[in-house]
Amino acid sequence: MAIYKRGYRTYSGPLTRERWRFLVLTRYAWRTIFQSRLLTAFFVFSFFYPLGALLAIYLNGNATILSLLHQSSELLVVGNKFFSVFIAVQGTFAFFIAAFIGPGLVAPDLANGALPLYLGRPFSRADYVLGKMMVLFGLLSFVTWLPGLLLFAAQAGVAGHGWIWDNLWLARAIFLGSLIWILILSLLALALSAWVKWKVAAAALMLGIFFLGAGFGQAINLILRTKQGTLTDIGNLMRVVWHDLFRIERHAFDFPPTEAWIMLILICCGCLALLAKKLRPHEVVR
Amino acid sequence: MTDNASYSRRISFDDVSKFYGDVLGVNRVTLSIPPGITSLVGPNGSGKTTLMNLMTGLIRPTRGSVRVFGISSSDPERFFREVGYCTQFDTFPRGMTGYQFVYSFLRLYGCTALEADELTWRSIERVNLVEAAHRKIAAYSKGMRQRIKLAQATCHGPSVLVLDEPLNGLDPLVRAETIALFKVLAEDGMHVILSSHVLHEVDAISDQVIMLSNGYVVAEGQIRSVRSEIREHPMQIVVRCRKPAEVAAKLFEQEQVVEARVHGDGRGLLVKTRDADSFYRLLNKIALNGVGIEAVAPADDDANSVYEYLIGSEETAR
Amino acid sequence: MTPVIELEGLAVRFGSRDILKGLTCALSGRSIGLLGPNGAGKSTLINTLLGFCKPARGTARVLGFDIRHNLREIRTALGYMPENDAFVSNMTAVSFVRLMGELSGLPPDAALERAHESLFYVGLGEARYRKLGTYSLGMKQLAKLAQAIVHGPQLLILDEPTNGLDPPARLRMLRLVREMRDQQNMRVVLCSHLLRDVEDSCDEVLILKDGQVVHYANLEQERSTNRRFVEMEAYGNENAFESALAALGCHCAAAGGGRFRMVLSDGIEISDIYRVAAEQDVQLRRLNFRRDSLEDIFLRAMNGSLAPQVDTGVEASNGHL
Repeated sequence: MAIYKRGYRTYSGPLTRERWRFLVLTRYAWRTIFQSRLLTAFFVFSFFYPLGALLAIYLNGNATILSLLHQSSELLVVGNKFFSVFIAVQGTFAFFIAAFIGPGLVAPDLANGALPLYLGRPFSRADYVLGKMMVLFGLLSFVTWLPGLLLFAAQAGVAGHGWIWDNLWLARAIFLGSLIWILILSLLALALSAWVKWKVAAAALMLGIFFLGAGFGQAINLILRTKQGTLTDIGNLMRVVWHDLFRIERHAFDFPPTEAWIMLILICCGCLALLAKKLRPHEVVR
Repeated sequence: MTDNASYSRRISFDDVSKFYGDVLGVNRVTLSIPPGITSLVGPNGSGKTTLMNLMTGLIRPTRGSVRVFGISSSDPERFFREVGYCTQFDTFPRGMTGYQFVYSFLRLYGCTALEADELTWRSIERVNLVEAAHRKIAAYSKGMRQRIKLAQATCHGPSVLVLDEPLNGLDPLVRAETIALFKVLAEDGMHVILSSHVLHEVDAISDQVIMLSNGYVVAEGQIRSVRSEIREHPMQIVVRCRKPAEVAAKLFEQEQVVEARVHGDGRGLLVKTRDADSFYRLLNKIALNGVGIEAVAPADDDANSVYEYLIGSEETAR
Repeated sequence: MTPVIELEGLAVRFGSRDILKGLTCALSGRSIGLLGPNGAGKSTLINTLLGFCKPARGTARVLGFDIRHNLREIRTALGYMPENDAFVSNMTAVSFVRLMGELSGLPPDAALERAHESLFYVGLGEARYRKLGTYSLGMKQLAKLAQAIVHGPQLLILDEPTNGLDPPARLRMLRLVREMRDQQNMRVVLCSHLLRDVEDSCDEVLILKDGQVVHYANLEQERSTNRRFVEMEAYGNENAFESALAALGCHCAAAGGGRFRMVLSDGIEISDIYRVAAEQDVQLRRLNFRRDSLEDIFLRAMNGSLAPQVDTGVEASNGHL
């Protein structure tokens, strides 16, 4: 009889590349996220609008159907207005998904003191934030710019030669506009949850910042008779930036896009500072 | 300690059971605890805290009665004068100083401002915190927090002091100071009842030990006398000497010796015997034959062994 | 052989407070106990070795790697078990330990295999598919240990590993520490308030006080025995025994409970004590030459530098051999 003694041994095998190790966190988070049925349903729901839009583009470019409907010209103009509405709708979905998932990414780690375990390894704080951000980045990409560019491609196919070259800046606007929005959402979600360390409260705070911020901005505008009040309204800031990107005429009551850009950059910096302060492996003694 | 006069100075549990719904706290506990230091030991969830809560009147037994010096816990007005409780929780009202913490407790207790002030200082002095009395508790070290809790628990002059894990997290110096304080209190005739997981320490400081397992009391008394009552495990004794083989040969002639194993280094042996008394008597004679005895010690009459025999050892995967 | 930990004038400051005041020493033991009262700087030292705190002056080397330049190498070679609760509540033990292994650089399949092995090794085999949030305190401690060894570190840093454990769990933890030291050839740094734990599992100790090294010792060498000083515990007619010993001409002090301490004067041997015991029909249940326990060493180290009043209450807890 052969006896095989097996137990714990030291490890001498190969190690993975350090540069991409942050993706480990992303992978583990994705695995658990879709265990929530509510989120999965919402995620699926957020594809309805892009599907509808795709159908519209198809109908719009199909002469047979147009003639069946006794329409001489096109039903709708697929241009900057079309895509800016698209991104506003999908941006709202992205916001709710971020508010739903984001706080659950960091808050439990902080509440249970898991940070020393992460950071005691060859794994930096930047890796940690990057790994967690990639979770949201991936999910929100599926809701925003990926379908956006798909629609763009569909329209390019339907509209024929020339359209794509004339409207390439639209693709850039879709991509850039989505990216900025994703960045803001994920940084805010991570920073808020690192701050309050409780995911329910962090989610509530996230909703609060957007909705109360909007109300607060309107109140300031009314009281001080200015339009700078809405600088506290992140949703509005983003709308101004999107309109800028999509070259849509500015409303009389909007503040200049430069201010919106600066404000958004400031918010990002604030979030990063908060994360740097809160994500520490040990408590600093008084 | 069995005469009637001292019997009235006892904490007595008479067939006490406590259930929380379906959950068993403790069951069929009958105890009579004399003054001095008494330790409660047992695995997590064995009912130590329940027993302490019963003893301090925080909860009422489902069945049976708990009495301190004859006063039942269903008579809280008198009962609470006799007991002080120091829980295992390391939390305090926000923003209070040590002095305020003790003082406000005394005021709640019904003392006048003057009395409360005097008693506060007296108990703070006893735990050696006078200098830090007006500092915020939030700025205290773990040892200081443990002591201010102790001051709070003793400020109204109770005769029974119940402490849940009072030594947990203390560094060796503060540990020694705290133990010394318990001894002083016990010598003053108080009941000091504490729980701990550190058995060798418990063994050394307490007058008696109560062992709990799964809500039942499995042993009480002094560790050493408890050990001699566990008959299914022969006593183990280590003898370090120059000629262990000679000693072993002599021991094998004895019937009560179950096993004698010479250590690998040839400088000692482990003896297992059913009758320790006659073994020691025999050793007195063997020692005279030039075997060069250097050390003798029982190997399993410490708290750890008794615990293992009574409660079992590998319970980690509960 | 490079020392496990080498400190070179290591100083750490928090704001205006000096926490570590220029520590210098080289530790090369297989298991090193880190001792000191609260606030002595033990946690800060560990945090500095892990790179969580930056040194203000001086430096330190862990397994030959400098903490100022080679943090990644240090963290790769090291397993850390923090003092406080540390886990991810909604994960099973296996996926938690596997995640930690992957973060240390193990490929996913190797991490999974080793996660199972580590959990079996620490004794959580049966419970490894349960969520960590449902674990008891003792099990959480073991899970923390499992994550610290999953990647097969060369050095293991354990901060208060036995805190809150019940006696069997505590003995088990100490046994694991010894086993990893002896069979897996891991170096261990153990930080604990329970001197007995350090005594049971370490061969060297570093004692800190007020941010300074007050003592560094090899325990084997330090625990020298005093062969003229005998401690014993008698059972039977103790008073008669005591007076008979005094008649031998030995200085003898009763410590209560049948315990005696005596100094063997010239010409008196242990066998003489046994003769007296036989004559008086007294059982000698315990007898040994006095040797310093870690507690003695610790208290000496504490008194050596400042001499605060230390209560002699410690004496009684010296009951063990």
